[in-house]
This record gives sequence, C-alpha cells and structure tokens, in this order.
Amino acid sequence: MQSDAERRELRRELRREIKDAAARQDAAGVVAGARRLMAESSKPADVAFCATAFAGIADALREQLGARRLKTYVVRSVTVEPMLASLAVEAVLANYLLDIEVGGYGSYADELLNADSSLAKFKPELVLILLDMEEIAGRLPEMCGDGAAAEVEREIEECVGRMAQLLRSYRAGSTARILLQGLVVPDCTSLGDVGEANLPHSLTNAMQGLNRGLAALCGSIADCVFFDVDRLAARAGRARWRDARMFLASRLAVAAEWFGTYARGLVRTFSTMFRAPRKVLCTDLDETLWGGVLGEDGPEGIATGSAFPGNCYLEYQKYLKQLSSRGILLAIVSKNNEADVREAFNVRAADLALGLDSFVALKINWNEKAESIREIARELSLGLDSFVFVDDNAVECEAVRRQLPEVAVVEAPAREPWRLVEVLSEQAFFDAAVVTGDDLRRVDEYRAQAKRAELASSMGSRDEFLSSLGIVCAFQSALDAPLARAVQLLAKTNQFNLTTRRRSATEVAEFAAAAGGQAVVVRVRDRFGDAGAVGLALARRQGDSCVIDSLLLSCRVIGRGIESALLAYVGQQALRSGAKRLVGEYIATKKNAPCAEFYFVHGFTRFVPPEEGSSESVFYELDLTSSAITSPKWICVEGK
Amino acid sequence: MSVEQVPTSLRELLADIFEISAERVTPELSMGTLDSWDSFRHLQAILAIEGEYGVQFDPQRIPELTSVALLQAELVKMGAVL
Repeated sequence: MQSDAERRELRRELRREIKDAAARQDAAGVVAGARRLMAESSKPADVAFCATAFAGIADALREQLGARRLKTYVVRSVTVEPMLASLAVEAVLANYLLDIEVGGYGSYADELLNADSSLAKFKPELVLILLDMEEIAGRLPEMCGDGAAAEVEREIEECVGRMAQLLRSYRAGSTARILLQGLVVPDCTSLGDVGEANLPHSLTNAMQGLNRGLAALCGSIADCVFFDVDRLAARAGRARWRDARMFLASRLAVAAEWFGTYARGLVRTFSTMFRAPRKVLCTDLDETLWGGVLGEDGPEGIATGSAFPGNCYLEYQKYLKQLSSRGILLAIVSKNNEADVREAFNVRAADLALGLDSFVALKINWNEKAESIREIARELSLGLDSFVFVDDNAVECEAVRRQLPEVAVVEAPAREPWRLVEVLSEQAFFDAAVVTGDDLRRVDEYRAQAKRAELASSMGSRDEFLSSLGIVCAFQSALDAPLARAVQLLAKTNQFNLTTRRRSATEVAEFAAAAGGQAVVVRVRDRFGDAGAVGLALARRQGDSCVIDSLLLSCRVIGRGIESALLAYVGQQALRSGAKRLVGEYIATKKNAPCAEFYFVHGFTRFVPPEEGSSESVFYELDLTSSAITSPKWICVEGK
Repeated sequence: MSVEQVPTSLRELLADIFEISAERVTPELSMGTLDSWDSFRHLQAILAIEGEYGVQFDPQRIPELTSVALLQAELVKMGAVL
C-alpha cells in the first residue's frame, strides 16, 4: 500500500513530466503522462491540470497525433460546466480535440427548433443533448406514484414524440452528429424497492420504457446515437451517481467523483459516429484461450471446460464467439506446433466453445507475433488499425506495441483468468451503434476470400481467373444500401478511397436528392459468396459537369475491376442526366496510394480548376461526349 | 499578506482550477480580483476542494466563500487537514 505522502509525490512527479513534455510540445509525451496521472488520481485539480496542458498543445495534438477537432455544442438543462474539463481530457485521450460551446439552461427547445438559435449559428459537427428527467418527462414521477396508472404508457409515448419532433426538426437543418442522453432511473422513490420491482407502472419501469423509446428514436434518425447514462450509473451505483446536495443546490446531475466515468461514456458513445470499430481479434492460445501450456501439459492437461478454472477460459471463448457472430473476425496467433494445436482442438472439442473453423486465419508457428499479424493483415487486405491482439505474455504484448503501434494490444490477466472477459469488454474498439447485414456476412465473406485465393493460384491468367469467378455487380441508391451501410463505408474505407471525405448520412441523402446528383452503392457477389454493399460513389452536378465528390471501394474486393464498373456506371448516369464532362478528384492520404492513378488509367486527363478545391486536391476530367468508360468484360452488371 | 500563508496543497489546487501560477494564490485573491474566477469556476473549485480534502460544504455557505482566505477558514472550521 502506498502512503498518502508517496501518492502525492507521484502526482507531483507526473505533473512535472507532463509540464516538461508540454514545454517541448511533445504531444505523445503529454498524453502518456496524462494517461498515467488519470489512472493514479482523477481528482478535479489533476483533471483541470491535464485540461490546461492539453489546451496549450492543441496544434501539436493535431499535427503529431492526428487528433480530430470537433466543434461541439452542448444542449442542456443541467449544470455541465464543472464536468467540461473531464470531457476535454477524456476526448484527448481518445484523440479528439473538442471545441465546446454550451447552450442556456432553459432554451434547449428553442435551440433545437429555431434556425437562428445560438446552436444553429455555431454550426457544430457534434451536438450533445444532456437533459434531465424534469425536462423530458417531468410528469412521470407523480403519475407513477401508485404504480398502476395505465396512462403512464401514453405519457411515455408523448415524451418520445416530443423529443422526436425536436430531433427531426434539428436534423432537417443540420448535418451534425447527435448524441441524445437517456435518463437515470431514480434510486429513491416512494414505492420503495419492492413496489418498484413488482408494480407494472412503477417509475423504474416507466423510465426504462422511456429509455427504450428514446433509443429506438435515435436509431430512426440519421447520425444520431443514444447514450445510456443509466447503464453507467448502475455500474457506479445509482445511489452514489448523483449527489443530491449538489443537484438540488447547483443542478449538477452527476456527482464529481464520477465526472471521469461520465465523460468517458460520452466520448465512447459519440466515437461510434466518427470512427469504425476494429474488425479482427488475434488471440494467443496458452494461458489466454485456454489455461496452461499445451507443449508441456498436453491436450488433456490444458484448462478449458465447465470446471474451474477451465470455465474462465470457456467464458472468454464464448465471448469471442459472440463477437464473431456480429462480424468480428477471429484469428489465432500462437507460438506452438500446429499439429499439437490441431490435436488439442480435436481431443478437447467438447470442452471448447470454438473450433478451428471459427478462425479466419491461423498463425501457429515460431515466428515473431508482429510478423504473423502483418501476414494476416495482408491476407485479409485489412489495415493494421483494424486489429486487436490479446496475449497473456507482457513481453509479446510490448513487442507488438512497439513494432505495430496501430494494433490495439490487450494484456490478458493470466493469474486472474476470471477477469479475461471484463478486461476485453472495457475496451471501446469493438463499439458500434449499428450492426449491418454486411457486418454479419463478413465472416463468410473472408472464408470465401481464402477459397478465391486458392483458385487464383491454380489459374493461369488474371482475366481467366476473374472470368471464372462469375462476378455480378448490382447498382442501387445509397439510401437503400441501407443508408447506415453507406455511411459505414464512408467512415471506414481508407485504402481505395479517392477523397476520404467522411460524409454523414444527411450529406449522402443530399447528394441523392440533388438534381443531377448521385449517391450510388455497388453490391457484389460471385460464385463463392455475397460480399454485399462494398463500393460507393457520390457526385454532384456543376454546370455541364458531373463532379465526383467521393468514390471508394472496400479493400476486400480490390483488384477485380469493380472500381472500373462503378466509375463506368457513374459516367453513364452523368451522361443520362445531361452532363458533358466527368470530373474526378484525388486527395492523397497516408493510406490511399493504391488509387492514386485511378482516374489517369481510366483515360482522364489532369487539369487545374480556376478557383475551387483545396491545395491537396488533384483534379481530372473526361469528356463524356467523346469517350466512355468501359466496364470490365468479366463483370456482369445487374439492374441497369 | 503573502502566499506562504496559504498551504501548498490548497495553493496548487486553486492554481490548477483558475489556470494561474501558484505564486498568485494569496489569501486576498477573490472572485472580485480574478477574472477567471467566475461562478462556474467557483463551483469547480468547491468540487475540487471537496475531492481533495474529503469534506462537504454546506450549499448555503458555498456562494459566500468568495476568497482564498474565506475558503481556507471554512476548511479549518470543518477540521480538514491542510
């Protein structure tokens, strides 16, 4: 146990480190120091200290770490100001720089409805709507007093309806991402614990129903996510979540000791609208997927199955299986003899929740683990920033962290295997507010990919191979892709993405609705499987030109000519709408070199536009009246 | 009066909250003399002091504790170890 004096000294030392790093404008150093200080002590003074340090290196955070600046407006009915330092700090730890403006206490409805409100004028990229129960459902506590009033249901519907009106009205005039906070189920009520649990229309039941209604509402509005603050409050303990003294005296809705938890929850929730979840989990075997060391203990000796401690590992396997069922790809990265591992999966099949066929890649060898992960990334055509690596060995973890900084590394608690699931679920990297049909198909699709690779190696020419795949492309409006999938593609495609503009659902809808505009998604299938919606193009009409704002293709279908078919389709549609010229744009990023020559190889010529466009943009044009883009002959186009 | 009359821990805490150097935290420093000490910073300072010393202020006293000397005296009255 550390003494108070020792802890104070450690805090001082960490602060000195942060200050020194800030003086050097060393962004990574400041963030690392702040992370340690926050883990050691998240007292308000330390949070304020970190917030000040971050504010002083804002440019460095952006330039050195690529922190994303977000203009953020807080619509509120409670006091949030003392919590803003925590929000700023948690945001930076997740690589966002918030530029925050806070609305008035009583003006939330006006802010959301009025086109001239301070909210509308601020033009935020993110709106946090943090209202308290009194504003959303002030009548409910009284109505629920007897626990039986049937009109409670109608009141809940009306509350959701009012909120729907506010959100839809705001959505119609803004493309900002919206976070709507739910309600905390009150801890102290007149019905008491037994009445709350047993009476059909108790306040607890009403609040939970209201939260469900609000969550469903958020799901029906583009770029809107529900923040389940009750879940955080329940985890912390609802009785301590709110300090009644401070709520009643100063309208502070969350007790100061939970500011960090609350801010982390907010950041974790809004992040899902700006960032794609990771896609692959690579797990170690010994002391991670099962207990013990296979090479020493043999297949019968490793711990897995229904008895302790094997059931700790079984829980972890079940958790991985659930991740796989929503489209997270699993892979094994283990230093072992492959034959031994195959035998273990065979012999202990009844005690394992996963079979070898649950994994899309197996790297069971004596190579460096970083090298194995790199190989998997190549085979699956996925960036390393899509990877998570779980291993109990601190040395292996550190080696991967150093060699592959993009990979998220989770150190499995080998001595406390019962904490495996907890440690993994604390991480935000698989968070998603939406799971699309394409996510669910992904695991099958990657298996099909492996079969294609096999076929390719047995075929002579590339054309012959591609013809044998029987590729079918179908084009449809991005609004029907469904729209959530279109936005997901925009958010996460990096390699084959001409402009890397992270357009929102509302913006996609605008492209689709504009005269001469296009928002097209291409769906692809072949004899091995259905890849689903994998490519997208957005274009707008400008005079007699059709200007392609965005064009992208999921990396797992690159190299089959689908990009050419998509461009050909956009060209045809442009011609059909009366355009004479097709304009393409390329903005180079760290990752999109594979498509740098895209317009050039399709016959476009480079030109410099008179005014428009950022300095990084390279523009290309094609005269549609004299040349046409041909779709590859091995692709069958459907639904023209 | 000089900065030495404010205990180091309180001085550093208020310096963090008000974003000023610790040398400026004298007993006379008050809401009236420091621009960054507005009502929200005041609440933030109160919460920070409560978290640091494990005390709870009477909400009716909070708006009255508008200088470092007053905050310090209130803490002493509540028996906090500064």
